[in-house]
Amino acid sequence: GRGGMKGGSKVMVEPHRHQGVFIAKGKEDALVTKNMVPGEAVYGEKRVSVQNEDGTKIEYRVWNPFRSKLAAAILGGVDNVWIVPGARVLYLGAASGTTVSHVSDIVGPTGVVYAVEFSHRSGRDLVNMAKKRTNIIPIIEDARHPAKYRMLVGMVDVIFSDVAQPDQARILALNASYFLKNGGHFVISIKANCIDSTVPAEAVFAQEVKKLQQDQFKPSEQVTLEPFERDHACVVGGYRVPKKQKAAA
Amino acid sequence: MALYLLFEAASGYSLFLAHGIDEIGQNTEAVRTSVVDLNRFGKVVKIVAFSPFQSALDALNQCNAVSEGLMTEELRHFLELNLPKVKEGKKPKFSLGVQEPKIGSHIFEETKIPCQSNEFVLELIRGVRFHFDRFIKDLKPSDLDKAQLGLAHSYSRAKVKFNVNRVDNMVI
Repeated sequence: GRGGMKGGSKVMVEPHRHQGVFIAKGKEDALVTKNMVPGEAVYGEKRVSVQNEDGTKIEYRVWNPFRSKLAAAILGGVDNVWIVPGARVLYLGAASGTTVSHVSDIVGPTGVVYAVEFSHRSGRDLVNMAKKRTNIIPIIEDARHPAKYRMLVGMVDVIFSDVAQPDQARILALNASYFLKNGGHFVISIKANCIDSTVPAEAVFAQEVKKLQQDQFKPSEQVTLEPFERDHACVVGGYRVPKKQKAAA
Repeated sequence: MALYLLFEAASGYSLFLAHGIDEIGQNTEAVRTSVVDLNRFGKVVKIVAFSPFQSALDALNQCNAVSEGLMTEELRHFLELNLPKVKEGKKPKFSLGVQEPKIGSHIFEETKIPCQSNEFVLELIRGVRFHFDRFIKDLKPSDLDKAQLGLAHSYSRAKVKFNVNRVDNMVI
């Protein structure tokens, strides 16, 4: 018979605490997003179809936390990822676009995902995927030089960064200075080994958080991506957070 | 001294004039707060000219040049038409704020228009980007998204195509 999640009416889908993310309740629970392009998988992931009472169908795509750091952070219990329906997101280190496709599902038709990837090999997959998802703006360019793509990007609500480079805090700060709204948010995935493999992971995370604080970022939470990734942390926070208004005299 | 700002968007080039800079001061911290509020920002920064790109191909040519820090003939024409004339032997009474120093030096070499690109200019251009669709009356926010989408696809497709043999630097 058919295995996995393709259980038709046996699968129930419930909204997750994070807006735009859902949980498919089957034999095993799975994180899913509502497919923007029903009938198509992006990278061979499983799809789940649920029939509404009125007979219409909604299709969801299974989101694997072993393949996506954002999914791992959500399952790791992060309080807020700020990526919600209608949000404008700048995604640095888009790779072939597997996670980007889920972000595109979450923000939906009223949101936008500017997806930046420098590697031409993965960039080709990214550009192809974006053809079918019109809320993704693919940018094959070096995230170190936002000036190079300044004509292609507007102001955004959130920057998600997964560039795995030693200078990633600087890369995030530079992009934020161009494109991130005051009071906007950042989500950065930090792989300890990519920054300094000679000191414990915890020390690397602390050092990166300190760097962010020097660039007008206000980190508010940190989760590790165990058991999905080793020595990885995800740090979330605000940018140029407005000072609290003084009470009127 | 008058400060103009060049803003390159996916839909075209635009030029802004920043007035009363002395009043808000060169202190970027003070600028940061006034930039967010359109009522305040709209009083100090006014649009002077907007020149939409003629076609998708034109937009791609402009984007490639801007990305490399180069001034195209079209940009030169736009600047010379809309900025005060620079007379030989006289010091110009204005300067042009640009987002990236390389395009600034190219503009200066070719046209003698004095350019600057510093923290203060970058902060003002951040404000222009934030309020851009409200400065240009005929532009709906969704129009700019569409222009970015079309331009990004052609820009990125060209990058991927022309560098098929490029070796990627994998950092593990």
